[in-house]
Formats: sequence, C-alpha cells, structure tokens
Amino acid sequence: MANQTPAVVMDNGTGFSKLGFAGNDSPSFVFPTAIATKGPTAGASGSGSGRPAVANKPSFLTGGAGPTGHLSMKRGTEDLDFFIGDEAISAASGPGYGLHYPIRHGQVENWDHMERFWSNSIFKYLRVEPEDHHFLLTEPPLNPPENRENTAEIFFESFNCAGLYIAVQAVLALAASWTSSKVTDRSLTGTVIDSGDGVTHVIPVAEGYVIGSSIKSIPIAGRDITYFVQSLLRDRGEPDSSLKTAQEIKEEYCYVSPDIVNEFAKYDRDRSRFMKHVVAQPGGRQVTVDVGYERFLAPEIFFNPEIYSSDFLTPLPVVVDGVIQSSPIDVRRGLYKNIVLSGGSTLYKDFGRRLQRDIKQLVDARIRQSEVRSGGAKSGGLEVQVITHKRQRHGPWFGGSLLGQTPEFRSYCHTKAEYQEYGPGIVRRFALLGGPGGS
Amino acid sequence: MLLLDYQNVLIQSVLTERFSGAPPVSIDQTVSDFDGVTFHISTPEAKTRIMVSLQIRCFQELLRYGAEDVLNREYGPYVVAPEPGYDFSIVVDLENLPADKEARDELVKKISLLKRNAMAGPFEQAYQEHYHLKAEAAKFTSEEAPQGVREGGAVKAIHYREEEAIYVKASHDRVTVIFSTIFREETDRVFGKVFIQEFVDARRRAIQNAPQVLFRNDPPLELQGVPGVKNTGTGEIGYVTFVLFPRHLTPQRMPDVISHIQTFRDYFHYHIKASKAYIHSRMRRRTADFLQVLRRARPDNEEKERKTASGRTFKVGS
Repeated sequence: MANQTPAVVMDNGTGFSKLGFAGNDSPSFVFPTAIATKGPTAGASGSGSGRPAVANKPSFLTGGAGPTGHLSMKRGTEDLDFFIGDEAISAASGPGYGLHYPIRHGQVENWDHMERFWSNSIFKYLRVEPEDHHFLLTEPPLNPPENRENTAEIFFESFNCAGLYIAVQAVLALAASWTSSKVTDRSLTGTVIDSGDGVTHVIPVAEGYVIGSSIKSIPIAGRDITYFVQSLLRDRGEPDSSLKTAQEIKEEYCYVSPDIVNEFAKYDRDRSRFMKHVVAQPGGRQVTVDVGYERFLAPEIFFNPEIYSSDFLTPLPVVVDGVIQSSPIDVRRGLYKNIVLSGGSTLYKDFGRRLQRDIKQLVDARIRQSEVRSGGAKSGGLEVQVITHKRQRHGPWFGGSLLGQTPEFRSYCHTKAEYQEYGPGIVRRFALLGGPGGS
Repeated sequence: MLLLDYQNVLIQSVLTERFSGAPPVSIDQTVSDFDGVTFHISTPEAKTRIMVSLQIRCFQELLRYGAEDVLNREYGPYVVAPEPGYDFSIVVDLENLPADKEARDELVKKISLLKRNAMAGPFEQAYQEHYHLKAEAAKFTSEEAPQGVREGGAVKAIHYREEEAIYVKASHDRVTVIFSTIFREETDRVFGKVFIQEFVDARRRAIQNAPQVLFRNDPPLELQGVPGVKNTGTGEIGYVTFVLFPRHLTPQRMPDVISHIQTFRDYFHYHIKASKAYIHSRMRRRTADFLQVLRRARPDNEEKERKTASGRTFKVGS
C-alpha cells in the first residue's frame, strides 16, 4: 500500500514554487519562493546576494557572539519561527520579519533558507511524510553538479526521502508538450523556449540531454512586457498606471499580431478594438483605463526588441535560429521540428504561430541562398513547427507530473541506500526518464 | 511553526475558492496527507457538485471503533456512497450552500478536517467508555471493584501505518494511548530518543498538567495479549505511552486532546527533521568560518622576478 503513494513533484523557480502530486493536471500549490525569517532582510544586511552574511571574525574569536545574530547563535526555537510563500509576503510587510528569496537566477543561493523552505512545504502544505514518498525536483539547465549534491544531501540526510529524481526543467517542458495533438512521437529532442518573469531562455535538447554550449538567454521576459505596458499607459496619461494594472492589462488583453503596420490600420478602421479596463482602486473608487495599441505592441518586443530596449536588439526568432544553427548538425532537423513553449510569457494568443512563421522565413531564405550557391541543387525543405499546448504555464511541473506517475519512475530514482553507498556524487547522473526504452 | 495544522490545507484552499462564488470549474486532484491517507477531490457529475473522497489504511478498524458515528455526526447530510477505491465520500453541492459566510467557512473547516474526524472515532469511543467505567467505579471502593471495572475496556488497535499502530485503552480513572514507533534510520532513532526523553521529563520540570508520558522498547503491560504486538526483543520498536488523566478527559477538552494526540507522530517526525535542518545550518556556518580562517592564513603574494621571452626581468606585485 505504501508503494502506491503518489510522487511529490516540486518545481522551485526563481519567482514561484510549484508543488503538487504526480498524476494531477495542475500543481496543488503555487506560491512565491520566499521565506520570511526573524531579523533584517537580506537587502539590509548589505550582501544582497541572499547568502548568510559572513562575520568579520570567526565566531570562536569573538567569543561566540557574532555581530550578525545568525541563527546558529540562537538556542531556542527561533529556527522554527518563519513563514513561506504568500504568508511570508504578508508577514514581511509587518514588523520583525525580513523577506528572503533563496533562489536567484534559478539556482539555490541560500541553502539554510532553502532547507527550511522545503521542510515547511512538505510538512505544512503538502502534508506528507517524506519517508513514504518519492520526490521529483527540477533544476535549471547548467546547474552546477555541486548544487545537485547539496540538494541530495538535504533530501536524504534531513528528510530521509524514499527516492529522489532531479530533472532538468527544459526536458520536463518537452515532456509536457506530449499532451499536444501535434506531437506524434514522444521524443525528447526539441528546442525549449522558456520565458518566465525575469529572463527568457532558448534551450536545445537532444535525446533528453541539454546542449549546454548552445543555450542562449534573452533579457526580455514577462516583467519587461509589464514595464513596457506601464510606460505606454504613462505616456498617454491614464488615470491609473500602476504596475499591477499594467500586469492585468498584459494578461487579459494582449495578443501577438501577424504584422504591426496592418494591425495599426485595423485599429484605426475599427474603433471597437480599443478596450476599456476598469480598475478598482483602494478606497472603493473605480477608474477606467483605455487599452489601445499596447494590446499587440507589448508582446511585439519579443519580435522587434528595438521598440523597447536599446541594449538588446536581436529578435527572438533570430535567436532561436542561431541556437539551432550552433547545435550539432545531426540534431538540427529535430530541433526545428519541435520548438516547445513554456512559461507564463509564452501564453499570448498566436505567439506560437508568429514565431513559427518568422523562423520559417529565416530558414527558407537560407535554403534558397544555398540552392543558388550550389548551382541548381534542390533542397527537400525543412519542417519548422512551434508547439503550443494547454499546459504551457506550468510546463516543467506538468512534465514532472506526467513522468512521475509512470510505473517505471521509481526505478529511475536514487534511493537513500544508494546514496549512503556511493555518497552525494551519485546524483550527478540520473538515468534518462521517459527517454528511449521508456514509456 | 511549532505545531502542525490538523486540517488539510489544500482541501481548505480549494473549497474556500469554490465556495466564494468563483465560476464552477471541473476539479480532479489527488491529494496526499500524512500516514498514507489519500484524498480525491473531483467533480464527477456536474461542475457544481464537488466530491471529496478519503482513503485510509485502517478504515475497517476505525469503523469497528465507531468512526461511522463521528463521520455521520459531522457530515450527516453530505455523506454519499463511497467512490470505488476509496473508503468514505462526501458530496457538496455548490448551489446548495449555507447562505452566510461564517457557516460556509465552518463547512470548509469541517471538510478539511476529514482525516482528523475519521481517526477520532476510537478516541471518542474510549472517552465514552471511560465515562461509563467511571460511573460504574463510583459505586465501589477501590478494593472491592469487580474485575471488569478495574481492568478497564478492551484495547483498541489502529494500525494506521504499515509498521506502526496506535493502541487506545480506557479505564475508570484514565485513558491510555500507546504509539508504537519504528525508525528506519539510525540517526532518527537517536534524535527520537532525545525528543521522547524531553516529553517524559516535561511533567517533572515545569508542566504539571501535561499527560504522563512513558517510553520503553518492549511492549507495555497494557498490550499483553493484544494480537499483532510482538516483542522482538531487539528494541527496534519503541512504545510511547500517553496517560490521559481525568483532567484531560472532560468533554470540553475532548476535541483538542484528540486532535493533538493524533498528530503526535507527524509532529514528532517534523521536529526531528527540523532539528536536523537546524544542525545543518550551524554546520554550514562553521564551514564558512573555517574557510575564512584558511583564506586569511594564505601568505601574501611574494615579490618574485619574472622573465620575458627575451630574457629581461621585471617585478610583479606591489
């Protein structure tokens, strides 16, 4: 009976953590990866990196009374006095608690906080006994193996979890795309475009392995779109141009247009395309904000970054094409054929269609050129396909849920016995879940 | 967080959202809870009819000890025939909710306590038995009490986990609750011992009102002759005995006491893990300190002569 417990799937991202059980179609909990502890915030301590501030002198030289009041100096139950997730945000707005984000740029920076964050997510939110469950965790591409080892130490030494599997988010995002009707063969080859709040990654994956040297990231993601919408609202002098309003407008009205010039003309012909957004302000007042060209202009910064940024000017389709061109030649066809979207900033209507068209144009232009150069040889053409599916928002989590419920998942996990036999280095390698020979 | 919550947070949040008038959507979620309990929240017939099913290892035992009464009392109008594969199901109709908000919150709370209430059966029965025996015993002086009264009721065994069980026994002056605990890890056993020792000592030190706690590695006398209790003699299984005195046995205190004692095992394991996390945090801190000492001990770069390819020398460093 105990073997029937569903696996726990945890996707801890920079901004949000997605927790749940394998087999479900959506995460049970989605909350900020934040922890509120007693004491000043990380920002106030000056380090800014979220690391525990290192005392100027080792504690045994200062007589054990370090100036920072670190947890290790405490002898009571201070280590249990903390909140995570949404509760942390509300606790930190009051006095006495400082807010910390243990994950920076996808990687765990503060293991003390992360360990307690996990402890609370397991016992308070998921309410599971870790000894009874297998765990599937995610990691960003190019995560140093030391981080994996640290994670394994915590999960095996502290929590005694029954089994652990650490998967790369991009691979899980590929697995999540198997739900789309366009995907016929369940291959783990493809290009993942993962666009969250902070940064957008383009990650080529061949047979379940990330091609690390070809990964490119783009400094344009959800937050930038929000800022862009906000600046448009400010330019027009709308009555409410807060970040929250901008975000609501972004999520509710924005879509990707096939061609901006045509779209402008359409808006001028048809006034009904202009929308009104009602904002309830604190104090019960309601104001109406006009929503105009930003409906299609905002996501356009992926395709024409010059309208927003002066530093980064390469459009997303060009980046994707470049990534695939820099990958080994024998997988390029598979990478073009299976471009998978993941993350909240890829949810705009027609985002996939536009991306597919633009990449196709780039590819076709190149093929024509080489046909001309070769003097009469004909190319069979190249299939470019961008996959959009319903689970994009929590793509990596859903992929984890999908793979975690397969019967062979448990055999892919490392168990505590194996960990004790080989040491933490065992988690540097995992058998490929869902790969050839899998389901 | 010192104590664990009794209710299931996920059921609570899902139902709170649904009850607050959000447009009905179909739900299909499998949720785990401690001790291998599985919940299934679904909307099988219509989006407005939410079914919550519970699957628990020891349901047959619980039924034998009066869980049905408790569940019927708590969820009376909502109980339906159990979903296949599950032990107990209730259905809430969103179109038929209590009108005012407080009653709705009450209902959410009640449903999220499903596991707690299912497990409460044997405890409540033990309470009733205790009241009954107490009334009986009041008729006699302690010497001449007949056998049955002095010995107390039968031991109720709840095998809530594969290897562990709770035993509840009522007598006229107390209710005894015995947990058998087993640790898969050597380290955990050490931690566990320290923890239980604290429980045992708590009464001696400060908290006079606490129930008496006993810990031993062989089955206590109360469990003699109970089927399934083996004395392995290896000390692998620990027995933690809580003795609830009449002070804890008043009807007013009953719900709290039952909730507390049910979460004992999870509470215990949670704190073992939390203390490990604490020790790890101190270890990391110490390592950081040592690394700093090492860094300081590194000698400054000495001046040394270097030669260029053409043989000329120049000085490096300050």
